[in-house]
Amino acid sequence: MRPLDGIRVLDFTWVVAGPVATRILADLGADVIKVERRGAADFGDRRGGLSGTLMRGKRSVVLDLNRPRGLDLARRLVAVSDVVVDNFSARVMSNLGLDYEELRRLKPDVVCVRMTGFGLTGPDRDHVSYGPTLQALAGYTLLMAEPDGPPAGFGYSYSDLAGGNLGALAVLAALWQRSRTGRGQLVDLSQLEAVASLVGPTLLARGLDGGTSTPTGNASQERPGAPHGVYPCAGAERWLAITVFSDEDWGRFVHALGDPEWTRAARFATRAARLEHAVELDRLVAAWSRHQVAEEAMVLLQGAGVAAGVVANAEDLCGRDPQLAARGHFVEVPTPEGRTVRIDGPPFLLSETPARVGGPGPLLGEHTDEVLAELLGSSEDELRALREEGVLG
Amino acid sequence: MRGALAGLRVLDLTGQQGALAGKLLADLGADVVLVEPPGGGPLRAIPPFWQGLPDPERSLFFWFYSTSKRGITLDVARPPGAALLRRLAADADVLLESEPPGRLAALGCGPESLRALNPRFVIASITPFGQRGPYRDWRASDTVAQAMGGMLFVNGHRDGPPLRALGLQAYHQAGIFAAVGVLGALFARDRTGRGQDVDVSLQAAVAGALEHVTGLWHQAGTVAARQGTLHWTRYFRVGRCRDGWVMHCTVGDWTSLVEWVKADGVAADLGDSAWEDVRHRATGAEHLFDVLDAWAARYTVAELVEGAQLRRIPYAAVRPPEGLLRDPHLAERGFFVPIEHPELGMTVPYPGPPFRLTDTPSRIWRRPPRLAEHNDEVYGEVGLTPAELATLREQGIV
Repeated sequence: MRPLDGIRVLDFTWVVAGPVATRILADLGADVIKVERRGAADFGDRRGGLSGTLMRGKRSVVLDLNRPRGLDLARRLVAVSDVVVDNFSARVMSNLGLDYEELRRLKPDVVCVRMTGFGLTGPDRDHVSYGPTLQALAGYTLLMAEPDGPPAGFGYSYSDLAGGNLGALAVLAALWQRSRTGRGQLVDLSQLEAVASLVGPTLLARGLDGGTSTPTGNASQERPGAPHGVYPCAGAERWLAITVFSDEDWGRFVHALGDPEWTRAARFATRAARLEHAVELDRLVAAWSRHQVAEEAMVLLQGAGVAAGVVANAEDLCGRDPQLAARGHFVEVPTPEGRTVRIDGPPFLLSETPARVGGPGPLLGEHTDEVLAELLGSSEDELRALREEGVLG
Repeated sequence: MRGALAGLRVLDLTGQQGALAGKLLADLGADVVLVEPPGGGPLRAIPPFWQGLPDPERSLFFWFYSTSKRGITLDVARPPGAALLRRLAADADVLLESEPPGRLAALGCGPESLRALNPRFVIASITPFGQRGPYRDWRASDTVAQAMGGMLFVNGHRDGPPLRALGLQAYHQAGIFAAVGVLGALFARDRTGRGQDVDVSLQAAVAGALEHVTGLWHQAGTVAARQGTLHWTRYFRVGRCRDGWVMHCTVGDWTSLVEWVKADGVAADLGDSAWEDVRHRATGAEHLFDVLDAWAARYTVAELVEGAQLRRIPYAAVRPPEGLLRDPHLAERGFFVPIEHPELGMTVPYPGPPFRLTDTPSRIWRRPPRLAEHNDEVYGEVGLTPAELATLREQGIV
């Protein structure tokens, strides 16, 4: 049993943010039916890897929504779904005649989640966006930089993950409300607002002090402390994150290093003093770390009770990390073709009714006949006729 | 109007690692009771402070994560405090906690003890590495969790160090997944009548907030590298305008973009038909963005973004977070919500909820609690008499 057994999600999402939201619902047991069109770009092998990680456990139906009969099939699927999700620009679903008012006529208690870039109202509601542009607008790109350095930002669309993971929460909250009252509702999720809501206390501070934010490299954003940052280790592109906050942390750190002479300087004796001399401290820590194997230094420092960790690259993460392996974070999933593909699993564990990867990513249109027959009672003759008309892609 | 989660009672024992989970649930309408040690929880000691004055009631850090929560104090480390926690748990739906694995059990407040009193109880633990596995007793800060979860390696310039995110995104993702897991457990409880444990690891939560890193490894053994502001898809890069930075985008309406650059007379070879193939634009991204950078330098950020959006090209300003505070679009949508802090005689503009449930909105229902503000109220609700409460207060338990 899984928590969302019996819940059906009609999934019009594409690229990343929307599929991230619906993959969590699929992990939790929902029957997620992806409505796709032929010719849309994807990320290679649909079964595993990046596509499979986005589409794990979903079913795929191809419908040509620009044909009346294709749209009619979509509307009939709405009538048997609990949740309808899309992440198009605001006007797309309206232009298709699938806005919330219409969906509600088809399914009175539907939960409709519109994951647009800018939201359904406001002067920029029709602006176009992708994850990189939204995280730039929210301040991440400019502020993720070294002090006085040019913007660097995320190497990927964190905004899509922020909006997607929060989108799953929005669906669950609306479904919870529906389970208590019998009423569905419209959820207006602006991906800009979703990622902006995660900037955190900095944004509250700027609202109060009217000040200017400047990049602080890898300095702490929680309790102030030093050394705090990312330090080079032996070998190419090997790095260790080390975070020392309290004087007790410092004592453990110094002890782990074998009490070297330089750590006894008065200018490093207290947290305030270490913060004041953080640049010099970083240089000295780097002079030590440069000769360490990253994994060994991590074990040494963690053994002493210091929060430290390898800056994991893809191979560290997926191929070597014993902790994620012990949690079963990455899974091998068999495909109907007899292959085995690797996919990321849900990042949280439920003890009694676990979320899990229900299957590999679907091939394009793999479940068209199955879904239309099962949910709409379409006969083989009808399906053949629809296919000949080009309605099924 | 009541929130979507009205009627749910949540006990929030978390520190900064899990504080967002309680905020999300509280803003959605759950009755979230923040349980702090008698001297105040760790968040109250974290800067920045209002007007720079360190004080448990002036931490903006605490304020951000504590909206809509009620607040009580309780020393769970001492037996009468642990007993009182069990009494609170008997009457609640959910516990959020971020203690080191095993600590609550050692205090007699582990999942078995609490569920013996309340079989329907959902317990969500947010810890650096989760409740089991070889690293379960290791420590992590937000930065260490970002590092070990794979977020950090791919951020930064090629010749510089990896860079951590703006904001505590390991804690934030863990908070989101905890809230998701709690709701999943509550849906399951509707069927089974039983609660369960939700095990959230900061490291795994970060790994669950990656895009290309794991997928490209799974499918091709590719180790994604840092490449400055060039997005991994190679369709986005930061460029310089007259007065600031802009995010270029070469997916969207390519024809309109090229027409525009051509009209300005600096299109170089961008008019070549080969560039119409989106894959070619990825392959030749460095050259493409160099041409676009030279073009963008003649515009202000505002001119470029306005012109691009008119042509349905997804350009955006690269601006500091305070740009959000001055954004007319967000102002019209009321993203920032003014909340009164009467004790300080001020109004605080809180960033709004991440999404809008139009019928039962997520909103800030009350300002963050002052230390011990709701002791009488909450302990009264579980049946403590004023005399009992006075005794506990004398003992320093509350």
